[in-house]
Amino acid sequence: MRIFAELVLRAAVVLTGVALATFALLWHAPGDPALAIAEARHGTVVSKEVLDLIRAEAGFDTGFWTAFWAWLSPLLIGDFGQSSVTGRHVWPDLVTAMSYTFPLALISLAIGLVVSVPLALVATRKPGSWMDRGAVALASIGVAIPAFWLGLLLILLFAVHLGWLPAMGAQTKAHAVLPALTLALGIAASLTRILRSGILEARTQTFLPAFYRRGVAAGDVARDHIAPHAAIPVVTVLGLELAFLLEGLVVVEVIFARPGLGSFLVNAIYARDFPKVQAVVIIAAVIFVTVNLLIDVIYRSLDPRMDRRDA
Amino acid sequence: MTITAYSLSVQRAGRTILHPTTVDIRPGERVGLVGASGSGKSTLGHALIDALRAAGTGVAHVPQSPDEALDPLRSMVFHWRETEQALGLAADDARRKDLFDALHIGTGDLRNRPWGWSRGMQQRFVIAMALIGSPDLLVMDEPTSALDPVVAADTMDLLDTYLKTRKTALLLITHDLGLAARRVSRLLVMDAGRIVEDARTARILSTPETAAAKALCAHRNWLELPC
Amino acid sequence: MLRVENISVRCGVATTLQDVSFSLGSGRALAVVGESGAGKSTLIGAILGLVPCASGQISWHGAPVCQCHPALVMQEPRAAFNPRLSLRRSVMEPVVAQKMQPDLNRLDQLCQGLELDTGLLDRHPSEVSIGQAQRVGILRALIAAPPLVLFDEPLSALDAVTQKHTARLIAQMQMQEGFAALIVTHDLGYAAAFADDIAVLRAGQVAEYGAAHAFVAAPQTAYGRKLRDAAFALGALEHVA
Repeated sequence: MRIFAELVLRAAVVLTGVALATFALLWHAPGDPALAIAEARHGTVVSKEVLDLIRAEAGFDTGFWTAFWAWLSPLLIGDFGQSSVTGRHVWPDLVTAMSYTFPLALISLAIGLVVSVPLALVATRKPGSWMDRGAVALASIGVAIPAFWLGLLLILLFAVHLGWLPAMGAQTKAHAVLPALTLALGIAASLTRILRSGILEARTQTFLPAFYRRGVAAGDVARDHIAPHAAIPVVTVLGLELAFLLEGLVVVEVIFARPGLGSFLVNAIYARDFPKVQAVVIIAAVIFVTVNLLIDVIYRSLDPRMDRRDA
Repeated sequence: MTITAYSLSVQRAGRTILHPTTVDIRPGERVGLVGASGSGKSTLGHALIDALRAAGTGVAHVPQSPDEALDPLRSMVFHWRETEQALGLAADDARRKDLFDALHIGTGDLRNRPWGWSRGMQQRFVIAMALIGSPDLLVMDEPTSALDPVVAADTMDLLDTYLKTRKTALLLITHDLGLAARRVSRLLVMDAGRIVEDARTARILSTPETAAAKALCAHRNWLELPC
Repeated sequence: MLRVENISVRCGVATTLQDVSFSLGSGRALAVVGESGAGKSTLIGAILGLVPCASGQISWHGAPVCQCHPALVMQEPRAAFNPRLSLRRSVMEPVVAQKMQPDLNRLDQLCQGLELDTGLLDRHPSEVSIGQAQRVGILRALIAAPPLVLFDEPLSALDAVTQKHTARLIAQMQMQEGFAALIVTHDLGYAAAFADDIAVLRAGQVAEYGAAHAFVAAPQTAYGRKLRDAAFALGALEHVA
């Protein structure tokens, strides 16, 4: 129970920090935010009076901390405010964006797992064999290729040359294939590497020979005594993996011209639409913190020695 | 039936670390396998276990430290069930109670993982697991060196008492002739991958014949070291 | 003279050492025995100043212990050396650290005393036997001529014959060099054979403290008797008729 409270407290600290950092970054970004908003709204050069009006409306004239608090306090009761460009409420648009992004993220994660687990198992069957080296090489390439480049490559091959799949938009399910593959490759690559080293390390544990000598079948030893130990580093890294996934999503959505959190965020940044940017960042932070909380809980149930070390 | 393994030998990286060796042990006999580190005692122990198992003889092994026998992520009861299953035995609470009482670990909570138990209790649990199938031979590799002396002495005493009434033979692998001399009736002295002397404990202690046995005897007792 | 006066060490809320006192003169050997968790390692840490004492005092001839540059011999001989350095570089570390002039005669002399071939020092830790590595560990401890040497389970990684050989070399070096030796060990046989005094540590407290031969002949406490009887049962000691 004490540990749970500690975790929640840690999450609260992280979220506050994220909110403050985002706000400060936008506040101090070069260029006049009021000018950017005016341009986004009216598309033309505007008079000084209009700019002052925008400043007053957005709270830019009240000073950093007042403006920060004016934004944070409604957020605490779940009010994300209104777009400073269109005046529309942020929340419904945000929900629409998420309804495109989350399925894509989950599909990529699933593909990543489906690819990496068998690949790691094949690779570790005979460490150092050509299959192992092949898997490691594939994984290294996968980790090294940036999403924007891979995305363009896939478009070139499957959309332009072969014409099998659509490249732009999100109208049909087929539209999700290329973006999902782009994201999944990076995930599969890093998961394969972690799983492979996790399995190899779990196999060197000093107590394993005793189990074989006791007559426990090799398959049972693999399932009951190697797999749980190999899973620990994977679970630990999944949290970090999520950060890369969020980052990759932004890039992939822009490349494939898909609606979603990524394009929502990029458009909002161009327009200096503070409330929108902050909403995305806060949502991302909440997801990140929640998932890491979950991972912590799973980690502790996998390896209860953690709790004892804490005590 | 005497337990016999013929012509055990081990080569590693082109070097012979165990020359062809035949070991025979009578039911219920207590045998010590002694030698300096690197003399090949553990190698012989493992080769013996593998050969006897392949021949269908019941043989169990207790490693030096409980860390080498128990998975820290699995509960004690998991280890116990798993061992029963590996031996093809049905779960039997009476048998478990017998062994636990004999080794004084009845107070341990089986739902705990190994690190929830003291090291002495962990080691006795490992010994109890080794005895589940009433093996013909129990091989112990330096069973006392990872434990505190008081705990180690208790453990050996409890095991002695338990084995007294059974036909299970004991092979005690150790570098410490002092320990072996107190626990076994027959000694196998190893040197450079060979058994160089095989005789009753009393005979080796009084008149060691080989250089290896002489060195072990001379350094047996802390208070009577040769000058 | 090492004086440990009423020291207590706390780790969080737990007390790991409580009211521990003893003294150790030059040229003498004190064995600290007790089970794991009794506070033996903490005691070494406290004497070296690595673990802060909540109360009490530790001094060497009235001054802080660190001023006499005490040396430590560790339990795992190979792990005690940087695997990338030659043994010679590791051995000379105390000399370099104390900005002393390297004295090759002394090195040769110590090597001879420890039955080490000086050529061995050009190897790396993984290229010598454990017994040799431990003797090099002792060499490193003695190279800067410390007046106080702490031994943390110096023999427990060695086999029975090597143990006794190494114990004898330590005793000979002590005769020759005259340092005070504090030996932490779980082996009562070793303590009885080579130490002048024995301190029995139990749950952070000194349960018994006195001359080694007197302790082995007749322990004063129930726990002391248990320790001695266990040593008999494991063959570490022979019954004195």
